[in-house]
Amino acid sequence: MNGFELSDEWLIERFKEGDDTAFDQLVRRYEQKVFQHAYRLTHNLDDAADVAAEAFLRMYTALKRFRGEAQLSTWLYRIVQNVYFDFHKREQRHQHMPLEISSDEDEEPMELPIPDESFDMDEYLLEQERQRVLREAIDKLPDYQRVVTILFHVEQLSYEEIAAATGLPLGTIKSRLNRARAALRELLEPYRELFEIESRPNQTEATDALRTGQSTAE
Amino acid sequence: MRCEQVKALLNDYLEGALSPAVVPSLEAHLSVCASCRGEWQFRRGIWRSLAQMPAPSAPADLHARIMTHVRAQTRTRAVSQRVLVWRFVGAAAAAAALFLLGFLSARPGGVMAGFELFGSSSRSGSTSSLPVESGIRLEWRDVGESERVPVLRAALNREASAMLAWSPEPNLPPRQAQRIWQGTLQPGKAVEIPLPLLHQKQTARAAATLWWTVDDQHRAFFIPTGYPPSARASLRLRAHLSEALALLAETYQTPIEWLPASHETNPLVVLDVRDATLPETLQQLLIGTRYTARAEKGHWRILPQ
Repeated sequence: MNGFELSDEWLIERFKEGDDTAFDQLVRRYEQKVFQHAYRLTHNLDDAADVAAEAFLRMYTALKRFRGEAQLSTWLYRIVQNVYFDFHKREQRHQHMPLEISSDEDEEPMELPIPDESFDMDEYLLEQERQRVLREAIDKLPDYQRVVTILFHVEQLSYEEIAAATGLPLGTIKSRLNRARAALRELLEPYRELFEIESRPNQTEATDALRTGQSTAE
Repeated sequence: MRCEQVKALLNDYLEGALSPAVVPSLEAHLSVCASCRGEWQFRRGIWRSLAQMPAPSAPADLHARIMTHVRAQTRTRAVSQRVLVWRFVGAAAAAAALFLLGFLSARPGGVMAGFELFGSSSRSGSTSSLPVESGIRLEWRDVGESERVPVLRAALNREASAMLAWSPEPNLPPRQAQRIWQGTLQPGKAVEIPLPLLHQKQTARAAATLWWTVDDQHRAFFIPTGYPPSARASLRLRAHLSEALALLAETYQTPIEWLPASHETNPLVVLDVRDATLPETLQQLLIGTRYTARAEKGHWRILPQ
């Protein structure tokens, strides 16, 4: 790195002029983000890579018409969702794995952030279990609920950003999100004690933790 | 505040979107009602685990997978589903010594991609004792300020009719390629053919296909034109051999030379490799065909077994 970065707009202009290396740079810039979003929708490394590849192909063909009305990143979120829905439709995979199945032979181990100091093995295992159960519950949500849940709670986008990334009005996003929260809550009811952690109500502390992903000291 | 009201407001409370006027009475209720407090803690735990969902690390070959997919799709759409059968009428006598030197240097606004090719140095039947440079060489010439034009320089140590053609798609047979130059090579006299098409952005491909024909013997050169190379790649395709070779040339940024066999078709090949190097990929690709791959200095040669 030499201290400055070429802007998306500049690279897009270069690409429109026929410079394919600019496209290569754009891919490098966003491939991790795109892959991760795709993974959170598919929960399969191979499918996520396929979705990412197809999303960039669509970006390649559509970029010439891109007028910069949205951020490239939000636009890419939208493409990823469309690709995911198309793949999903094609595969007709409406059968989801039951919550009990836990053999993840073809899935690579997920890396949870492990703090160096005061590492708590019990808490680490508990969190892994929470993540497993949560992932399976999210898989059971209808597609339209899953997308807003992931964008709001996991990717931590604001309502306005979600509106740009999905093209939905704010009211629709909020109602879908609330339906998704209620559905998740029902699906996770059997695992209630896993998620119910003793603490006193304190709004600022709670909200900060929930929007940044930091766990708070209990 | 009643439990029903509290539970209806919990999501807003967790989001930090609850009106400050309501917060104290809600918190007061939570501190005395175990049922509502439990509900709040439960939802809070879900929200927190959602926020902590781990990000998977992308596969190491993600970039190569994406670029391969984009290139393959943007090309095969143009090629469509044509099935082409090639027939190559047998070549005349063994070709004279053919040295090929390819060189792509820094293009204006492009990336650096340099390579050298050396073809067969066998001088079968040559009685010439003239120390003639023999073969073709691709190089970039400076013309004016910061302007460069690719030039192909060809020479042979005997007299022969020759033709250079550019193919817009690797799948087209050589007779359908666009003729760039045709003439007679004289021993010891070099011919220089400018190739502005390799320079034009509109026609620039990730790998250009050039047909070089001497005495009715064709050979194809798939010449990479400037994508960053991949040492390993994952490729899944079903295509004609020429198309597959052009894709490999651009993916691995390695020039590939192909000598189609006499009376041979351009066979359909399938490929499914993960995280493979070029030699591994070529080995997989050529299984079941009548071709074999040989490493030369700086490039690969695909020739009949």
